[in-house]
Amino acid sequence: MKRLSILILFLLFFISCDKNPKTGGRQKIAIIVSTLNNPWFVFLAQTASKQAESLGYEAKIFDSQNNTAIETDNFENAIAAGYSAILLNPTDANGSIVNVNKAKASGVPVFCMDREVNSSSGPTSQILSDSYSGSVNLGKYFVKQTNKKGKYVEILGLVSDNNTWNRSKGFHSVVDYYPGLEMVAQQSADFDRNKGLEVMESILHAHPDIVGVFCGNDAMAMGAYQALVAAGKADKVKVIGFDGAEDAIQGVRDGKILATAMQFPKVIAETAAKYANEYLKGKRDFPKKIQVDVEMVHIKNIADYTAYGKKTKL
Amino acid sequence: MKKGIKYAILLLIIVFLGYNSVEISKLSNLKASVKVFDAKAFAKDMLTKKLPREAGKVIEYDELIKQLKAAPAEAFAKKGRALTLGSIRFFMVKGIAEITAIDENEVQILTEGNNQPSIAIEYVFGNNLRDASGLIDLSDFDNTGDLNNVSSEINKIVRTEVVPPFRSSAKVGYKVEFLGAIELNEAHLNLNNIEIMPASLKILP
Repeated sequence: MKRLSILILFLLFFISCDKNPKTGGRQKIAIIVSTLNNPWFVFLAQTASKQAESLGYEAKIFDSQNNTAIETDNFENAIAAGYSAILLNPTDANGSIVNVNKAKASGVPVFCMDREVNSSSGPTSQILSDSYSGSVNLGKYFVKQTNKKGKYVEILGLVSDNNTWNRSKGFHSVVDYYPGLEMVAQQSADFDRNKGLEVMESILHAHPDIVGVFCGNDAMAMGAYQALVAAGKADKVKVIGFDGAEDAIQGVRDGKILATAMQFPKVIAETAAKYANEYLKGKRDFPKKIQVDVEMVHIKNIADYTAYGKKTKL
Repeated sequence: MKKGIKYAILLLIIVFLGYNSVEISKLSNLKASVKVFDAKAFAKDMLTKKLPREAGKVIEYDELIKQLKAAPAEAFAKKGRALTLGSIRFFMVKGIAEITAIDENEVQILTEGNNQPSIAIEYVFGNNLRDASGLIDLSDFDNTGDLNNVSSEINKIVRTEVVPPFRSSAKVGYKVEFLGAIELNEAHLNLNNIEIMPASLKILP
């Protein structure tokens, strides 16, 4: 009897030590996002989570707080806890590669969402916004709206993120053709609304005569707009954002924001979750990179859009 | 004496290992070995060689508009091209049209089928030609920067080599033969105010 009890105990121990534990028979998908301090990423994470759950998985969101070290902890926890796949919005195009590779080495596929890592071998697939093209359109619109002349500033996102530079390059690929448009300041505000406000305030002291500000995301654009309101210049300076976040879409509608670029976080998140599901069901052939449309939103077409997407089905 | 031999052997081993673990070469040699994507050459080849070879297969502008009006979903599926997920699609088009108006940004034309698109001569930017051509495979590009540079270089060639001779000789009433690309959004299809990004423009006698 004693021997039998020991045998049963051993059996129970080995069952509980299953390498890929499943909750209630369900596999688990981890959603690791750069920050939950920005509504756009909250929407991305929640949509991915909802989609993963609708496909039959247990999903959990991890916040990396824009910190690669915290992202590393999140990866280690997800791998140790037996998550079957990771949907990642990376904190750093280079710094996140080591985390992606660690997951890959542990047999956990990683699908990047919106932001890119500079590795073609690490992630199973990367689903990215076509930031460059979106900013080309914003640049064209900015040139037309300013009649090709005036001083302007650029507020950049995280300098370690490829989207920051794709947006900046797209915008400059147009605007730099017009010598009448002079960029008098270019500073980073880390995609953060409060930092956007602070940066804009300090720039306005040195350059009170600007006609426009191009911001790498909507949060910074809203922060910049607040600074312009405080300085009594909101009606003189054209503000451009990027994302299609709720307050920016309302800002376009109200005439506070000249234009923004609509990304489609729903399409990105749902595609990532769909790919993870297909991978876990045995598919291995995925495009290494796939880009999602970015569409310019301005006062003339605002009726077609809502926060984070289109009014009609994409 | 024995100690001396021991130290000599040890020193030899250290020197041997040190020599074999370090390789010194010129920085210029290393830089030369890193293959840099030449977007300019790629764009030139695409615009001046590959695209003209495909011109025979390109749909007439009037015929495309007819198909888009009759069965838009089918026309988008058959003729539209894009490297992205979403509803924006690019189409290569060609045709002959009469110039009806010219301003600093665009040239208005009237096609034989009574359509009135415009030809961009100032704001030649974006991915229209790159993506409409169907000559690009996204998986051939390791980073999106190279892909974006292809568009940038194509547009540069159009702005410096295609547009200037056309702009200087175009006059209202003249006929123009065009090959170019248009962008349409399937979710919000608007067949008015279509702008053609030119790949080649020829004033007809």
